[in-house]
Amino acid sequence: MIKLFNVYKSYTPEIQVLKDVNLHIKPGEFVSIVGVSGSGKTTLVKAMIGEEKINEGKIVVGGWDITDIGNKEVPYLRRQIGVIFQDFKLLPKKTLFENTAFALEVCGQSSKRIRDIIPRVMKIVGLEDKMDRYPHEVSGGEKQRAAIARALVHSPKVLLADEPTGNLDAINANEIIDLLSHINKFGTTVVLVSHNKEIVNRLNRRVITIDNGSIVSDRERGKYLL
Amino acid sequence: MFFLSLYRIIKFSLQDLSRNIWLSIVTVMILILALFSINMLLVVKVIGDAAVGAIKDKIDISLYLKPDADETAIAALKAQLGNLSEVKSVTYVSKEEALNIFQQNNSDNPEILQALRELGKNPLTPTLIIQPKNADLIDNLTHELDRVDSSIIDSRNFTDYKTMLDKINAVTDKVTKAGLILSAIFIFITLMVIFNAIRVAIYTHNMEINIMRLVGAPNSFIYLPFLVSGLFYTLFGVLIIILLFYPFLSLLQPYLEAFFVGYNINLVDYFNRHFLEIFGGEFIGIAAINILAGWWAARRYAQA
Repeated sequence: MIKLFNVYKSYTPEIQVLKDVNLHIKPGEFVSIVGVSGSGKTTLVKAMIGEEKINEGKIVVGGWDITDIGNKEVPYLRRQIGVIFQDFKLLPKKTLFENTAFALEVCGQSSKRIRDIIPRVMKIVGLEDKMDRYPHEVSGGEKQRAAIARALVHSPKVLLADEPTGNLDAINANEIIDLLSHINKFGTTVVLVSHNKEIVNRLNRRVITIDNGSIVSDRERGKYLL
Repeated sequence: MFFLSLYRIIKFSLQDLSRNIWLSIVTVMILILALFSINMLLVVKVIGDAAVGAIKDKIDISLYLKPDADETAIAALKAQLGNLSEVKSVTYVSKEEALNIFQQNNSDNPEILQALRELGKNPLTPTLIIQPKNADLIDNLTHELDRVDSSIIDSRNFTDYKTMLDKINAVTDKVTKAGLILSAIFIFITLMVIFNAIRVAIYTHNMEINIMRLVGAPNSFIYLPFLVSGLFYTLFGVLIIILLFYPFLSLLQPYLEAFFVGYNINLVDYFNRHFLEIFGGEFIGIAAINILAGWWAARRYAQA
């Protein structure tokens, strides 16, 4: 599903953010990428969604070589990979329904199809009763659920979650991880970037540890090592 | 697909306008101020042109004839002058008419009227009043009049007209140059205001733009709503300035008429006759500036 071959990334010649990263994430996996702040986790995620260009190596997502992806192709890649972030990244002037619908509107889906899909996705994330609320009118956990709903509307094969529980309390964090696990059971590959030890250990799934830009550990039923 | 995208771009734009209503109001107000300045400049130019035109229209040359000039000879001279290419009209004022006009003009000056009575005869001479087709031709006309050979001409001193005309032309040129400079300054200010308004809008929407990119929005969906918003701002600005400016002109008109007594300066009529050129031109001009500034600001400040 996602393959990285000898990936290098540096912002200046002295600072190597990613060093010889080799990675293969199979379809349907739930993978946690862990590491301390500044270890290169977020750069890795950005490289996978075409937001950062790598200096060397090759990245293939779903059979598509995105190493030298052009700016015009990036929107199409983003429609194949759902992404959620710690700060939710919801449009503040749109309701939760509109935020979720926006992802479909921008790629030309018909209004009828949008009206069909959104309530179903909202039901999956448990927001069917709060679709008409604005982001500032719901809790952090609900904002993240809305972000997940938006990421799911394209039925992506991969869902990248970059510190999705960073702004949430323990109860909401566990609910979001349960939701991601639930989504993974339906076949969506989930890549979770986190430094939350409890969550990663509770999952008991594959854990890739990054330190100083390099993969230092990759275990099938791993624990948070650092 | 095209119409669906267009509909959504307009929808996003209108949503953005209404949900950022204060930013929209401030932007439209800045546009209104800029448009008001431009239209005021136009009003000043119209008044200036009308005043200078009216003054030029009043310029004529009086050819004083000998008191005993024969009416037939006068008629012949009048016809001869009327055939000159620079001449618009020639009016004959007889001695008696000249005296009547003189008495009317000095009706409130008893000393002059008393002096006239004591004189016991009509001291004025018959006159041919020559109006040029164009005030700029007066120099040529005086040359032509100098060359007219007629024994009934008593006086042909035109020097004062040339001096006055030179002064008027100098003032007109200065007004035109000042108008051009002021126009350029106002257009530059307008351009800067619009560019900065869009830049601020994009700067404040930076997070939203990044989110749009994140969910796979193509550039058209990211940039075009800003440009469409710019068009709506321009449309609202021009419509409001039309609603504000006509009452303003109506208020100004009586003062103008009182100031320029005898001159036909009607601003409302001028704006009515040139409605499409003025407001259509302002809409197209400001919209074009909006689109260019918006496109540039979007590319400059909305990078991923």
